[in-house]
Amino acid sequence: MLTQPNIPERATIPSACGVRGYAWGVAAPFICTLSVWPLRHLLGQPSILMIYLLGVFLVANHFCRSAAILASLLSAPLFAYYFARPIFSFAISDLENMVGLAVMIIVANLTSNLQDKVRQQAELAQQRESWANALYRLSQALAAASDQQAVSRVAVQHIYDQFGASSVLLFADAYGRMVYPDAEPLACSLAEVRLSDAQAVFQSVKVTRQAEKMGVFYYPLESSHAVLAVLAMQALSRPLDSEPHLGSFFDTFLSLIAQTLERLQLAEQAKSATLQAETEAMRNALLSAISHDLRTPLTRISGAAGALIDSSHDCSYEDNLDFGKVIFDEAQRMSDLTGKILNMARLSSGEIILHQDWNALEEIVGSALTRLDKNLLDRPVRTQLPTNLPLVWIDAVLMEQALVNLIENAIKYTPAGSPIDISAEKLTTSVQLVVSDYGSGIPKGMEEKIFEKFYSLETETQEGGVGLGLALCRAIIEAHGGSIQAVNIADRGAAFFMDLPLRDPPLLNLDELGMTTV
Amino acid sequence: MNETAALILLIEDDEQTRRFLKGSLSHKGWRIIEADNGKAGLAMIKNHNPDLVILDLGLPDMDGISVTKRLRQLSEIPVLILSARSQEQNKIMALDAGADDYLTKPFGSGELHARLQALLRRTRRTMPVSEVFVTGLLKVDLAQRKVFIADNEVRITPIEFRLLSILIRQAGLVVTHRQMLKEVWGAEHINDQHYLRIYMGQLRHKLEINPARPRYLMTDVGVGYRLAIDDVVTELAQ
Repeated sequence: MLTQPNIPERATIPSACGVRGYAWGVAAPFICTLSVWPLRHLLGQPSILMIYLLGVFLVANHFCRSAAILASLLSAPLFAYYFARPIFSFAISDLENMVGLAVMIIVANLTSNLQDKVRQQAELAQQRESWANALYRLSQALAAASDQQAVSRVAVQHIYDQFGASSVLLFADAYGRMVYPDAEPLACSLAEVRLSDAQAVFQSVKVTRQAEKMGVFYYPLESSHAVLAVLAMQALSRPLDSEPHLGSFFDTFLSLIAQTLERLQLAEQAKSATLQAETEAMRNALLSAISHDLRTPLTRISGAAGALIDSSHDCSYEDNLDFGKVIFDEAQRMSDLTGKILNMARLSSGEIILHQDWNALEEIVGSALTRLDKNLLDRPVRTQLPTNLPLVWIDAVLMEQALVNLIENAIKYTPAGSPIDISAEKLTTSVQLVVSDYGSGIPKGMEEKIFEKFYSLETETQEGGVGLGLALCRAIIEAHGGSIQAVNIADRGAAFFMDLPLRDPPLLNLDELGMTTV
Repeated sequence: MNETAALILLIEDDEQTRRFLKGSLSHKGWRIIEADNGKAGLAMIKNHNPDLVILDLGLPDMDGISVTKRLRQLSEIPVLILSARSQEQNKIMALDAGADDYLTKPFGSGELHARLQALLRRTRRTMPVSEVFVTGLLKVDLAQRKVFIADNEVRITPIEFRLLSILIRQAGLVVTHRQMLKEVWGAEHINDQHYLRIYMGQLRHKLEINPARPRYLMTDVGVGYRLAIDDVVTELAQ
């Protein structure tokens, strides 16, 4: 909607008081003459002069100084003609009258001067207040703007409201070329701009303050070290230098907009810098993890294989078997690791498709424990899964992977032979699966950190691992709409709580539910 | 042992894998013939009539599923699938298409021998109906339809018994969810996995000492179930 601009009315500007002022300047002496004429025998000349002075004063009070002077200059001959002896002649014989007239003219002049100043100051104060308000409204609107487009909208609307001119904010594209914004223009947006003119202003840093081409002004919006945008604006109805302070008000207006743009740019830069740093850290972690965790088994494999090749004749059968075992175990470890890295990559790129179905946690737990049989050795694993545990809607393969990772983690960080507890419980909105161990727990403050990719509590030891296990757990659980968190249980060890969303499994439409026996 | 004479057809395109498998298998006394693509493999089945097929899922000329289907038209010989981690879905499809079991690469030769033995046993000892199946403490009288754990009878429902007998028929081998659902509840229920979860859960609770760490009724997550049998377990532990 195009609203009417509220350009401040300045009809009473002293320097240009207009026809009305001069009309009153002419009329006032005649009115005085007419009103005093019937009383001329009652009043003395000084009183009559005072009446004229009153007229001049009123004109000075209401209109400009020139009108007041006009009134005083007109009052003099009228007084001389009608009231000063000799009457009906412009001659003045009385010295007293002459002095009176002179004083009147001087007083008129002085008062009108004084009036003028007071009025000017009042008007300036009013003007300043209105500008300050305008700037305040602008800065408030700009503070709420969160992107370039929003700033653009605010700027164009406020410039129109304040100066009555259509405008548009032009930004450079990725190649530094001025482009017309592709956002939907406001009703008061300036449509016809020459991008080449804007480009010239954009590139001539600090050289041109503005350029006018075909009735459109181009103003660069500068930060401390670069031109951020170019404001193209219709010529104003009255030039900026037509009034004192208007130019600097306009400059302040533009610099507010420029400051906001700079703030946004800096925020953007800070954000991308953080992101870049994070990506960088991630890449470094990945590289060091891969170089460490893939190289270690590779070194062992090539070492053992080399030994087999070199010395198969000298070594005992047991030695050779040992080398073979090393190769097998390490290859298996690498295979696990690549599987984890791939799964993680697929999960974080959103590429993985969950094959969800109704599954029993008991089966997942059982299968995970079977897979880890060799790693568990003689560790007691205590499972506590209620018989009435509901089925869960999960991707069984991924869930098993998550559980394997958690149990492996418990094995890695607790003393050999210490028990591992696995329990599950139906809560109001979720099924909670808990894996807890009896070890030293998670170092204080690390409860969240351990879920980060490539973060490992023991990066330097062989058993430290790539730091993907728990990250993968979290990615898997979250892909299911669940959550996982780690807590320390005082004087006992670490516990991992996994919450999987509870859904109602379909009912069995079979009446036989294991009631009949064979 | 008559298994030593068994003839195994190996269909695998990677030469190194073939070499290592051949070495490991002939070491155990099995006879090997090789094919490096699906067409050649199918031709060899006609010509050599092997006892068992090891089929790699990633062949250059045909996918494993169509090889399995074509192979099933020719004969009933046991088929062991070799699959990579990324071929999870193909593996299940190949099993549903008639393959008998699978191994995920990389695998150890111990695992491979265990699977091959279980597969060969299935064909050589086609189980008479009257036979009693025994593994560990579990005893199932198939004719009498009775189940015992350590000589104590366990009362199970007809559906549970049917599930159990399917697993016994394929003892040591994986049976996919779809195969079980189809056989027990019919083709229209092949996607109702929750049936299976509930009944297998009940069966586990009746037969296992700790159902969360089963000894007999094993879960092949994402694929199906498998009845663990003694010698396979010992082979696996090697």
